Amino acid sequence: MEWFDPIDPSRKNSEFIAVESKSFLKEAWGRFCKNPMAVLGLVVIVILGLLSIFGPMLSPYAYDAQDTANQYAGFSMEHLLGTDKFGRDVFTRLCYGGRISLSIGFGAAIINTITGVVIGGLCGYIGGKFDNFVMRIVDIIYAMPSMIYVILIMMVFGSNVRSILIGICIPGWIGMARQVRGQLIALKEQEFSMAALVLGASDARILFKHLIVNAIGPIIVQVTFLVPNAIFTEAFLSFIGIGISAPMASWGSMAQDARQILTMYPSQLLLPTVCICITIFSLNFLGEGIGDAFNPKKK
Amino acid sequence: MSETVLEVKDLCKYFDVKRAGKGSQKVMAVDGISFEVKKGETFGLVGESGCGKSTLGRTILKIYEPTKGQILFEGNDITNISKKKMLPYRKKLQMIFQDPYASLNPRFTVGEIIEEPMVIHHMYSEEERKKRVQELLEIVGLKPDHIRRYPHEFSGGQRQRIGIARTLALDPDFIVCDEPISALDVSIQAQVINLLEEIQREKQISYLFIAHDLGMVKHISHRIGVMYLGHMVEIGNANDVYKNPLHPYSKALLSAEPIPDPKVAREKKRILLEGEIPSPINPPAGCPFHTRCPYAMEECSTASPASYELEGRKVACFLYSPRYLKQRENLAIEPLLAGR
Repeated sequence: MEWFDPIDPSRKNSEFIAVESKSFLKEAWGRFCKNPMAVLGLVVIVILGLLSIFGPMLSPYAYDAQDTANQYAGFSMEHLLGTDKFGRDVFTRLCYGGRISLSIGFGAAIINTITGVVIGGLCGYIGGKFDNFVMRIVDIIYAMPSMIYVILIMMVFGSNVRSILIGICIPGWIGMARQVRGQLIALKEQEFSMAALVLGASDARILFKHLIVNAIGPIIVQVTFLVPNAIFTEAFLSFIGIGISAPMASWGSMAQDARQILTMYPSQLLLPTVCICITIFSLNFLGEGIGDAFNPKKK
Repeated sequence: MSETVLEVKDLCKYFDVKRAGKGSQKVMAVDGISFEVKKGETFGLVGESGCGKSTLGRTILKIYEPTKGQILFEGNDITNISKKKMLPYRKKLQMIFQDPYASLNPRFTVGEIIEEPMVIHHMYSEEERKKRVQELLEIVGLKPDHIRRYPHEFSGGQRQRIGIARTLALDPDFIVCDEPISALDVSIQAQVINLLEEIQREKQISYLFIAHDLGMVKHISHRIGVMYLGHMVEIGNANDVYKNPLHPYSKALLSAEPIPDPKVAREKKRILLEGEIPSPINPPAGCPFHTRCPYAMEECSTASPASYELEGRKVACFLYSPRYLKQRENLAIEPLLAGR
């Protein structure tokens, strides 16, 4: 008893927790901020977003205003990044193209996320025959090359942003649905979802409040890969000439226009390509950073 | 201790398994179990891993749909009622889970976790709910300011107490405790057990206490049921079953319990069973235990023994059928460690 003395009961404070309370998202944000590439990616995306929203408004030129006397102008204070073959301001067109590229990217991501989460969630939660049936349909959609959907839709509805979005979204939700379904099948067996059932929670409550909320990490990671995918698809379509039609601009169609004069004015091709590269790089870094941030094992 | 809260009659739960080349087979996890639990009573359920204890608990709460049989709660048949009609019973029938790390939703704060059952059942106003959460936290020995914390900030024992607070939020009459202490270390086990006993004394709750720590089951239970391969082989008062198990399997199971005194332990006769526990996919015909039973007779492999009543206990073994009562004395089935 000389070695160990019982402590004064009033000083007993075994239930005290010293660490500051941190919600899951706060902790993830903390981990995210420790990754410089991811933060850089986020900053670049925000800047590109702001430029494409406000750039065309601030610029004195309209994206389709032609000035035939002033073709292929070089970089100057008047035209920051010069003009193209019709004398249109390249900076304004890049910003405008960014609007289209980014809105297709994020629009497709939002639609695919909602569809994928709902369908994947139902499949994972209900399981059985329903799951089997839906998953076979998914397999069929997935078995066809996604370009076919896009090109077919374009032929029916014409070349515009809406048909590109529809074309991208028909096969686009499949990855998300599979991901969410797999997560839910694992989460469903956890005791907390059984606990919710025993407490009398409705199916909708268990599905959304208990299961999908716990799959949010993988879902967000999947979203950050959906965005660059859609942007890239749009750029590719516009580049092969079936995407956005003139005089509207997207980064892909600007690159396509610049193809013929590549040897004389390389900057015409370089600028939109660099924009696509920067965007996709940043989104990928961002996605990886978010993925690590949501993985508590990577502290 | 007279009113029967829960009665289970001939309950079965079979799971389908598909195995390549063999088609669909059935795992007979729970096969024809009957017992009842009285008000304010703790019914301990013991048996080795995989004998169907947890499945029985979960089937009673209809987490799994029962295959056959009946579950009566306060005299009402709840076996096949719809989810909607089940809702009022959900309030009264609750469960405490085994793994305190998996049974709390990691994205909810402790306050939200404990409040959720009251939200689901539309109990109290919002302010009253908040107050009740505070009360419940106090009952299980946590601090009111823990309400904004997340489960991952707590230790295993604390989490288990959060789970208990969530269960108590509904004021249940019957709680299935599915190995509530087996994931906790010994010092914390006592904490949780004392809490459960205290609550029982105060509110006359009945427990179905599933565990494999025999000493703990004996300590907390009024009656004990011994399960083997989906069957209930023996039911009786905790002390009787513990001191003088009748069924050959109970004898073997209870002889396996470690004794903290090495001198006594050395002298203790352990019954070692031969062979492995048979698969519940193809359970042996007749008595499920006959393949390993040291007293097996010819009829054990052909007929399934009924439950024979004997001095207020139920034993599913032919040795205790009236026909063999005389022979039994000659078989020298002596009580194990009498008087311990």
